[in-house]
This record gives sequence, C-alpha cells and structure tokens, in this order.
Amino acid sequence: MRTFLAFTLLLAACGGEDAPSSFSGPVRVDPTASRAPARLSELNLLRWDAVAGTFEYNERVVPYDLNTPLFSDFAVKDRALYLPEGATVTYTAEGVLELPVGSAIVKSFSYPADFREPDVARNVIETRVLIHAEDGWENWPYIWDEAQQDALLSPSGEVRAIDFVDTEGETRTANYLVPQRNQCGACHALQTTAGGEETFFTPIGPKARNLNRTFDFGPGVGLRNQLDYLAELGMLTGLPALTEVPAAMDFSPIEESGLAAVAPEDLDHAARDYLDVNCAHCHNPRGVQGQTSQLFLNYDNEDTFRLGFCKRPGSAGEGNGGLTYDIVPGNPDESILVFRTETEEVGAMMPLLGRSLAHDRGVELLRAWVASLPPETCEE
Amino acid sequence: MKKSFFLGLLVALSGLAGCGDDGGEGTSGAFANLSCASSEVTSANCVEIADAATLIAEVNLLEPDTTLVLGAGTFEFDNAVTIRANGISLIGQGIEETVLAFGSGTTQFNGVDVVGDDFLVQDLTVLDAPKDGIRVEDSDGVTFRRIRATWTNEGDMNNGAYGIYPVKSQNVLVEDSFAENASDAGLYVGQCINVIVRNNEVRGNVAGLEIENTQYADVYGNLAEDNTGGIVVFDLPGNPIVGRDVRLRDNRIINNNRDNFAPGGTVAQIPPGTGTFAMASRRVEITNNRYENNRTLDIAIISGLVIEGDASAWDLVETEMIGDFGDLALLPGTSDGTWSNFRSENIVIANNMHTGSGASPSTTNMLGTLIAFLYGEVDGPVDSVVYDNIGESTFDAMDLERNSNDNRLCVGGNTAGTLGLLNLENAPAPILAGATAPFGPFGCDALEGGPVAEVSLPQLP
Repeated sequence: MRTFLAFTLLLAACGGEDAPSSFSGPVRVDPTASRAPARLSELNLLRWDAVAGTFEYNERVVPYDLNTPLFSDFAVKDRALYLPEGATVTYTAEGVLELPVGSAIVKSFSYPADFREPDVARNVIETRVLIHAEDGWENWPYIWDEAQQDALLSPSGEVRAIDFVDTEGETRTANYLVPQRNQCGACHALQTTAGGEETFFTPIGPKARNLNRTFDFGPGVGLRNQLDYLAELGMLTGLPALTEVPAAMDFSPIEESGLAAVAPEDLDHAARDYLDVNCAHCHNPRGVQGQTSQLFLNYDNEDTFRLGFCKRPGSAGEGNGGLTYDIVPGNPDESILVFRTETEEVGAMMPLLGRSLAHDRGVELLRAWVASLPPETCEE
Repeated sequence: MKKSFFLGLLVALSGLAGCGDDGGEGTSGAFANLSCASSEVTSANCVEIADAATLIAEVNLLEPDTTLVLGAGTFEFDNAVTIRANGISLIGQGIEETVLAFGSGTTQFNGVDVVGDDFLVQDLTVLDAPKDGIRVEDSDGVTFRRIRATWTNEGDMNNGAYGIYPVKSQNVLVEDSFAENASDAGLYVGQCINVIVRNNEVRGNVAGLEIENTQYADVYGNLAEDNTGGIVVFDLPGNPIVGRDVRLRDNRIINNNRDNFAPGGTVAQIPPGTGTFAMASRRVEITNNRYENNRTLDIAIISGLVIEGDASAWDLVETEMIGDFGDLALLPGTSDGTWSNFRSENIVIANNMHTGSGASPSTTNMLGTLIAFLYGEVDGPVDSVVYDNIGESTFDAMDLERNSNDNRLCVGGNTAGTLGLLNLENAPAPILAGATAPFGPFGCDALEGGPVAEVSLPQLP
C-alpha cells in the first residue's frame, strides 16, 4: 500500500508543470465507521506534493481560506471541505454552516524552514480531519511521517519542538502541540444551551462571515469569492447577494504589515473578529470552559462587562499577571486580556491550547484596540 | 521518532489479556497493590497500564465504564491525561507508589483533565502540573480518594493554580487526599452542587481549601495548615450558581501564616495568617473547628463589596441562575429581573476553639494592613471573629447591644472567642473590638430557615 502510494505520488510529481491540482477517485469518508482509517491516504481526500510544496485535493474536495484565522504558533494552514455527492449546505448568515452527515473538513498544519520563503521546504506536521458521522462530528488527528508521504492516525497527539526562521529573520522555536483526540473538544465542543448539560461537537471555521473572501482556486477557476464558488458548484444554496453577506476582517494584510493595514474606523471590527476567532470558541456563553470565567469574547456580545471591561477575572490563577481587570479600557498594560495573549509563560497563556509563542501581529492589534477604547479607571 | 498509537494499543491489549490470568501477574511487581484481577475492580473493562504513552493512547480511545489501573512507578508526561468518557476509574497503586509527573511539559495543560460522569481517581500523586493538578469539569458523580496533588517547589508563584479541582460538577466526594503548594487554591470546589469534602490535608497553598459558588457542601475532618488562608467560602460576582448551605465542622485550621505567593486573583487579597473567611456567602455554619495560631485572624465574615465594589457586577439574571435560590433572602439586583449575592448573611459561628490567633496581623496586603491599622487603634489582638458590617442599618462602636444584625450573623459557644465589628467600606472608621459572649444581637444560635441541609450523595464509583 505504502509503495503503491509512493509510486502514485512519484508519478504525480513527475508530471511537472502539468501536474493536476486535483485528482479523482472515490472519497472514502464513512459516516458509519466508529474509527477513521489508520492512514490518511485511505480517505482519498488529499495528497501532499512534496516537490511542489502544495496539497492536491480530490476533485470532490474544495480548498478554502478564512478571513481571520486562528493563530497556531505561526503554522501555515491548508483547509478544505468535502461534501458527499449531491449534498448541499443551506446558507446561514450567523453561526457555522450546517454541513450534512458524510461531510468532512480537513486542515493541515505545516512550517516552512524560513517564513521569508514560505513556499520552500515546507514540512507538514499534521492533518486534522473532522467527519460528520451519523452520531455527530468526530475528530481524527493524523501525523505525517518523516518522508512526508502519508500521515498516520494519532489519537495521542504529540508535543514537538519546531525551529523556524520568522519573517524578520529571527530563529524561533515553537513547542508545537498536535492535540490528542480528547483535547479537540476544548475548542470544538459547545453546550446545546448556555449552562446546559448536553454538549455537542462542532466545526468552528466555516461561518459565512469568515468564508466571505476571495481565494485562488487554481488553473481554470482562478480568483473567486469562496461562497460564490461553492454556490456555483451547487454545494451552497440560498446565498444572497454578496453585498448582503457579513464579512469578518481580512487579517492577512495585518499579518503582512501590522497596524498600518488597519484603518482607524476598522480597528474595533478587526479586534473583535480576532477575539472571536482566537478566543470565543471557549469564551462564549455556551463554551464549556470559557463559561467559568463569564468572559465572553464572541463578536456579537454587546455586554461590555462580560466583554471584560472593568471585569475581574473568575479564576485566572497566575494568568492575571498581577493585574486586576480583564480589560481596562484605554490601558492595555493594565489589561489581563493583553497580558495573557502576549505572555509566553506556561500557565498564564491564552488561548489555553495551541500557542507557545506570542502572535506579534495579533497582540499589536489587541493593544491598539484596548488603547483606543474610551478610558476608564475601573475603580469606584 | 514517532509514538505509535498502535503500539500503545498493543501494549494496552496485552494488559487486558493480563486481566484473565487470575491475578498471577497482577499480584506482584508493578501491580502488587491492585490489578485488574483484584476483587475491588468491578468493571468488566479493565486495563493495566505501565507507562505514560500507553495511558495517553488508551484515554483517547476510551470506551465508557473502563477502569484504568496504573502500575507503580513514575509516569512522565509532556501533555495532559485527558478523559472524555463516562464511568472511568483511574486508580494507582498508592499515593507514594504511583506518580504522574508533568514537570517536563513545555506547553500548558492540566495534569489530569476530566469531563465525564461517574469518575473516580484514587491512590496516586499528580506532580508539577503546569496548570491545575486534577481538574474535573461538568461531571456528575465524582470521587477523589487517597490522592495527592502537589508541586515540588514550596511557595513558588509559578506553580499551577489549583491542586484538586472539581468545577461545575455535582455529587462530588473528596476524601483522604492531600493538596499542597498550589499558587491559588489547593483543594478548590468551584460551582458545584452536593459536595462532601472530608479528612483531607491541605498545606503550603495560598488558599488551602476553597468552596466557591457552591451549594450544599459538607466540609469536615480536614486539616488546613501552613497556607496563607486556611478554609474559605465565597461567591464570585456574576456566577450563576449562588453559594448556599455550606457547613465547615470539625476541621483544624492552624498556623496558616504562609506569605501570599499568588500571582494575582481573588486569593492574592487574602492576608497571610487568615484562618477562614466567608465572603458573599449565605447559609453557612462554622462549628466545632479548632483554630490555632493564625496570625491575622481566625474567622472573617465579609461582604462581596470588599473585592468588587460595583454592586451591578453582582447582578444575576434570574432566568440564568442555576440551582436552588428561591428560598434565599437575596437582595434585588440593580436592574429588573436580577438578584444580587454580594451580601454575607445567615451565618452561624459556634462552638469553635480559638488559640493564639490574631496576635500580629500581616501587613503585606491591603486587607491585612487595614485590619492591622484598625486594631492598632484599639491596641489589642484581632478578634477571633471579625464581622464586616457593610449593609447593617446601625453601627455603634461603644455598645454591642446598639448594633443591628440585619444580616443574621450568629456567634456563640466558642472557646476563647471574641467578636469585633468593623466596616471595611468606610474604613478607617471606628471599630467595636474585643466583645465577649454573650454577643447581644448576635447571640442567635441557628440559621433562619433551619440548619444547613444534610448532604447525601448517591452511589458514587
């Protein structure tokens, strides 16, 4: 099997310039299986072309990107979506699009050796597969082998030190976490109702507002709005005119050039979307762990106290850095939220999982946002 | 080198096979004290586990109702032991024999991190977890028995926050366990309903034993020694579970004079030398405890406004509140449809023994400094019971009889127990110090609405 796969990859790679960006054959996502296959290749969703440094997807699989992505220690992420033949998704302006049973979402994490040349020598660490099984979403982590030929189902996850050179030319080391299977729910589980006992597993990224952006779908398709393209493929129904569709802030210009890329009138929008994506999977009223703190960072939370303004933390432990309030409007240095997103101290960092390094651009944005809020002293 | 989950499974399966051989192998070596063949193990699904990688592989593919028996030895982890299934028992060979060590972790995680009903953890030590030692969240039916959660370094602010930490759970039993050196609370029961905490020892923590936003908790037979604060009961603002019916009885709360090494948070405000405080709490009985040599004071009853002075932060929307609250004398909140829980009220403090406390209040933080200043004015030791009378209608520093007791604080029958009244909101203001029994308006001896309800737990694993 491995030899055969290697051979196939070799063939594909030998195709040179004419290498197809997609391949055919049945996708083998089985919504009735109690366990995913041992090798990622068995799902036939994607392949890694080590020579070209790109993923190839099954022709039934649609790659996509997000406006504001979750920061994961600078890992480069490639995302894609699979819907079973003939299945459709109904557009919803709010919340995650409801993908039907049999769908899958794949997200691959990789690092180039040097972020100044992000397309060179990219090493793929892991691919996470979410499968909408008959009993709900199942999460399956796969870790790529050293030869970068296939990935093995790895429910135990792994903590791996990864060296890379960042965009400034500095060498950094991430203590990168491939989450163990049980840790996926730390972000992906929500309560059915706030405070309720029932929880369910859910994808996070594919919300209309976060998908509403342009993506380069490659030869023959080119640059298209992702929602528009999904609609054209017949996978998305009920899509209104794009001007009617909400859009989260496109973070990529901020990642590229920092605050200079944010117009003052967009600062609030950019920061709230950043918090929404990076924090609100827990910090929302239905988040199992975030609920304990009563700090709600979802973009549509309008209660400024629970957004953290002059709010004392619930049980932050050492996470508060000696500070008193989650957010002191106007004063980033006195705001626990800024401290916790900036620190690299184990035990104090937020988000809880998946970050060992500070996200410089993200912190810059949050600092500027807190500084821009009408100042309050927070004392009686 | 990759950890192979299949290899792990293989090892686990061979462990499973071991269950069949009538204890032959299990009665010696790593499984001498407990094996899958032991009669205590009732689950048909039992796995003996001898190394960390196997345990991690096992817990990520758990079937419900599995017993995981850990062998003797030190298991070293670079990530959490996570459990997300119901009916799981995690049992070692003994506190000294089985150690789960997390000190080499480079990312942040709790040591043992559980969401699952009917969970039991027993006979093991959790050492040096980057965050909390054992955190069990959102679970119904939880037993911690004969375990230790600890950190190697004493008094280190970089230690994890909580040692033994059941949170947002119900029907919880914590017994015969140890919690040490936590940089926040050693044994922390947070937002739980129906809890028994008995015969545990908490040492070297900032807060030894903490009952927070919890309903129906019986806390007895515990020893709190050498913490910054011994045993504390409080509500935090904005939490939908209003604490009630908490009984602290027959505990020993001694020498809690450790420097406060919390990196921040509510517990950073505990003055070193604090025996017990109850804050924003109601229906609490503090009886038959032994308080000894806590340098600042033995028992303080304070209003939540002391830590959060904005009353609106204590508003709880009635429709979002959890648990029993209809029969409580909660104050209306600052906006319609809300209740407020900053007030401490309906508290009995009786038949405790006080020795040697209050002699030299610590001035290393704001509350201690305030108390030291106030008592400096009257030139005496701090009283065994100090009542912060924020919200009382009448205060008279000279005559106890002329004070109101609107919040129903009952004090009496204590050995060597004195009472002091002060107002932390308007401090420095006159205090009434050194009152001895009988305590006039505070001489009541029972809670309004009957004694704290008896906690009865269902059959736990």
